[in-house]
Amino acid sequence: MGYEEIFPPVDSKWHGNAAKRFASPFVDNPHDRIDVDPIILSNAAVSCGYTIRDFYEKPELGIHCVGYISQLFDLLPVTHWFFSLPWVTELGLKLVYKETLPPIPTGPIYSDPEDIDKMIVPSKEELINKTGTHATVPLFYKIYDYVAKNLPMTLVPISYGFDLVGAAAEMVGVENFIMWTFTEPEAANKLVRKYTDTAVNGAEALADKYGMAMLIVGSVLANNDIFSDETVEEYSVKNMYYYVDQCFKRGAGPQVFYHLCGNHETDYKLFKDGLMWSPFTVIHAGYQGRNPFPSGLLKETFADKATCMGSVDTKLMIDPNPNKVYNQAKEQLLAGRDSKKGYILGTACETPPYTLPGQMLALVKAARDFGTYGTW
Amino acid sequence: MQVTIPDNVKELIAKRGLKESDVLDVVNTAAQTNHYLKKGTDGLAKKVIGDLTVYALCDLSGQGTAVVKSAYAHKMKLGKIVNVMGESEWKSVDKGHAIATGHVEIEYMTVKRNGPALVCPACNEAWVEEYLATKTLAAAEGLFEAKRA
Repeated sequence: MGYEEIFPPVDSKWHGNAAKRFASPFVDNPHDRIDVDPIILSNAAVSCGYTIRDFYEKPELGIHCVGYISQLFDLLPVTHWFFSLPWVTELGLKLVYKETLPPIPTGPIYSDPEDIDKMIVPSKEELINKTGTHATVPLFYKIYDYVAKNLPMTLVPISYGFDLVGAAAEMVGVENFIMWTFTEPEAANKLVRKYTDTAVNGAEALADKYGMAMLIVGSVLANNDIFSDETVEEYSVKNMYYYVDQCFKRGAGPQVFYHLCGNHETDYKLFKDGLMWSPFTVIHAGYQGRNPFPSGLLKETFADKATCMGSVDTKLMIDPNPNKVYNQAKEQLLAGRDSKKGYILGTACETPPYTLPGQMLALVKAARDFGTYGTW
Repeated sequence: MQVTIPDNVKELIAKRGLKESDVLDVVNTAAQTNHYLKKGTDGLAKKVIGDLTVYALCDLSGQGTAVVKSAYAHKMKLGKIVNVMGESEWKSVDKGHAIATGHVEIEYMTVKRNGPALVCPACNEAWVEEYLATKTLAAAEGLFEAKRA
């Protein structure tokens, strides 16, 4: 039995309306209300009775859960599936499944700066022909082929650069990498660029097959809890620009989702004139210090550049008080909803696997109450 | 200026739905006005023809000749410069301005968004490179049409 036999078909009436709403910020054609994207991942599997591990170990099941459960809360009409370490097995890391986490590496494989010279960036063909459970291109071909067959109206082929700095750092160990940014900056830069070049080759492989590939790239490890503004710019902003530019050269894009995860208290402003902006770009910022990044500041900084996605603290999604979610979402909506190129209400990062349904409802209810077009 | 279009480029022009006469118009207008960009022996000219902005990339290494290396177009209209980021290797021939990389406002189907471009801040003018016009903006135009529909 295929996973598609587990799920009832997608409600086409729901999907039609959600698709119009999803398109509206990008084409200045307001429909219904502000969209809500809680970056739902393994929570979708948990909501359907599966485990976190199931979500990652059975990606077709995982992505079908995302498509299915999105209807329950009237979320996005598109499907996605990912974890934060694409492309690393191609560079030599070994990943293992965990019960309550996405796949994690068994440990770093390099320890000396000289080792980085030995790292070989796999070609597009090598990425396509890579074998093994976590081989990124075959994995995403398999997922998108499944979606194309079983949930075609939800298909958006996505290529993940994801966390260019954080994923590269795993090759040598995160603590070691942070040290290298002080003591061995040349090797640290080379490492991030080699990871980025691998992700670019992978994006081309996906764009070749599907005609386009939305790009998702973030600054996760590179945030103000770890690095100075200068270091975030050097390692993250510049490589994010390079990644998107190179992907565009290879036919990927034009949709881009920038995810500034964690604390971007002061470095946020470096992204404004440091990133590449396409006509279909969303910028999302997680936190300012310990608080959700204010949508007013997000709008003030980025509204001229892209669609802005505001954040509700992910901790609130498991706090047994739906009103906390509702009130914070209201505050963010009121500050961001008139963003010039559109606004999306999100959570600061992936909504937790055990997100409470009442809290998800509160998030969407806030979008209905304070984000309905024509009511402000 | 003697303009030559090799057969393989003629095929590319046809494949991209452009007219050879329009490409020749772009090159000849650039030659008459001296308004084009130069990088090494390459010249890049553009002209708005109907609903399209048509570009011709030429090899200008021969004296008094232009060999068209490529031609492309986009439907989106270019507007004001949004930001200036870094240096490019291009320079404007008529004014000698250094051309930068950056972003420009683009308009399509009444929607205004941003896109990457070569920009001349002094003249408030922008050019779109071939990879962006034929891949990124072409896909974006398709998405605008689909989403608007």
